[in-house]
Amino acid sequence: MTQSLFDRIGKAVLIGLACLSILLLVGPSLIVIAISFEPRGYIAFPPSGFSMHWYGEVFQNRQLMDAFLTSLRVAGLVMLVCLALGIPAAFAAIRGRFGGKSALNAFLLSPQMMPGMVIGIATLFFGAYFAWRQSDLMLVVSLSVFCLPFVVRIVMARLAALDPGLDEASANLGAGRAQTFFRITLPQLAPSAIAAAAFTFIEAFDNVTVALFTSDVRARPLPVELYYLVQFESTPMIAAISALQIGFSLIVLVILARTIGLDRIGR
Amino acid sequence: MSDLEIDRLSKRYGKLQVLTDCNLMAEGGSVVTLLGPSGCGKTTLLRSIAGFVEPDAGRVMVGGRDISMLPPNRREVAYVFQNYALFPHLTVAQNVAYGLTVRRRPRAEIARRVDEALGLVALSDFGGRYPKQMSGGQQQRVAIARALVLEPKVLLLDEPFNALDAQLRLTMQVELRKLIDRIGITSIFVTHDQAEAMILSDKVAVMHGGQIEQLAPPLQIYDRPSTSFVADFIGRANIMPVQVRAGRTDTPQPVPTPRPDGPAVMIVRPENFEVVPGNVAGWPGRIGFATALGATIEYEVDCGMPEALRVSMARAPGSGPLAQGTDVTLRLRSTDGAIVLGRGAAHV
Repeated sequence: MTQSLFDRIGKAVLIGLACLSILLLVGPSLIVIAISFEPRGYIAFPPSGFSMHWYGEVFQNRQLMDAFLTSLRVAGLVMLVCLALGIPAAFAAIRGRFGGKSALNAFLLSPQMMPGMVIGIATLFFGAYFAWRQSDLMLVVSLSVFCLPFVVRIVMARLAALDPGLDEASANLGAGRAQTFFRITLPQLAPSAIAAAAFTFIEAFDNVTVALFTSDVRARPLPVELYYLVQFESTPMIAAISALQIGFSLIVLVILARTIGLDRIGR
Repeated sequence: MSDLEIDRLSKRYGKLQVLTDCNLMAEGGSVVTLLGPSGCGKTTLLRSIAGFVEPDAGRVMVGGRDISMLPPNRREVAYVFQNYALFPHLTVAQNVAYGLTVRRRPRAEIARRVDEALGLVALSDFGGRYPKQMSGGQQQRVAIARALVLEPKVLLLDEPFNALDAQLRLTMQVELRKLIDRIGITSIFVTHDQAEAMILSDKVAVMHGGQIEQLAPPLQIYDRPSTSFVADFIGRANIMPVQVRAGRTDTPQPVPTPRPDGPAVMIVRPENFEVVPGNVAGWPGRIGFATALGATIEYEVDCGMPEALRVSMARAPGSGPLAQGTDVTLRLRSTDGAIVLGRGAAHV
């Protein structure tokens, strides 16, 4: 009897916590979306009416559109760099046999332990030493350092679960190393590589902490642009941009779910 | 049909000597089983034939040609893995076609040969399925078809029946042996199951501690084991220390032997002993434990030796075992059936 009372209290607390987390996670996003439809020139919740006015403003704002394109370009490049470095690195970490392997693993995953700000500032100082200014290139480099662990980690998890016997079977049936890689290993790695690519893209697309220090002052990426914008603007345009970004992330997620299934991401 | 010959193969991992001077000859079209307890080196030996393990010394010859230096993908020996290692992202037909696809054979030829191979293992209607949708026995047949479609010179199988339940295992063993006979391919099995070795093989290589202790037909291994390890591993055996004097053992029933005078061991199969009442020439003892198994009665008889002697006798209809504690005498049915080995062969 006491046991079941205990259970019930536990259950109630659990449900309460779950509701609270959902409220705190989803609530702000819903409020931002609601505010974006405000017709008047200042932020108000609940909105006084329904208007797409501020969405129009966003698309007519040259500076914002440029920032969006910069972010898109940078995120795309970061994604490619991280895949190109991360997949081979994961291979070395799982399949390789060499001294100092665990040290290398720790090193590969270490940027994840570091605040983005530290990576941003460190890259900035490092660049200053070589008279290298903030630029798209520096932004891509710093974000790649920041995002690489995502790729390594996701691909490593999948690789560790692969049966090395499949490689032997492939060799036994006459396939060379390259054929085995492209016909056997890669297809089984694909879902995790796609997931890693998507996460890297999203992370690089809306990162502020690193980008604040390493992005080109004349061509800021969208999150940094917004960061400055918020300080001078207080129209619902900010909310409209945020709503657009939420929608953008959702679209990526839906594509992922449709192509490889959400439950398989990261496996 | 190609002979497979292994010549003085050795392999060590660091300080661990895994294989020592292994010699083996499998005539074209014959089936040889590598039999031994886990850790005896049998899988390492099989993997060296396939090229997955690089031996430190020795050669592997197929059809008289040394393949030791070839990489695994150019050896033309097929390997069936213990867990089958089917490619999960390919269909059954694509799995079977894999070896032909990487060899860039014409599409029509691939289709024809895959059909034939699937027909051979009675899976013609399953080409479109994925391995996950098949039962264990079916997966095994896919693995065999995938190996055979390339018409390899030698077929290697690593404990292929391990993952199957007992019923299916027996059926598959017999089916596989028939299939091998039909296509006539030199085959090497690895197993730790002596019954499986008996069913499948023309010759059995009993392995122990990285060495081949005996290579002979199954019945010869059973009747004439060359070491007490072999005797104990294949079937059951009573192993007794004896003295040889003037060409005979000093036992109650002397056994003739060409061995020189001195200490030796004698091996007697349980079915070569019989239990007789009263005091005749033989080993006097007392029934310690008796089990009636239907066709046979099994006794453990205490004859004052460190271990009780085991006896297996045919049961006459309607009869039962003697009572525990009965004084009896053990006699050899045939003194020729007892095996006398030197002490050197007496490690267990």
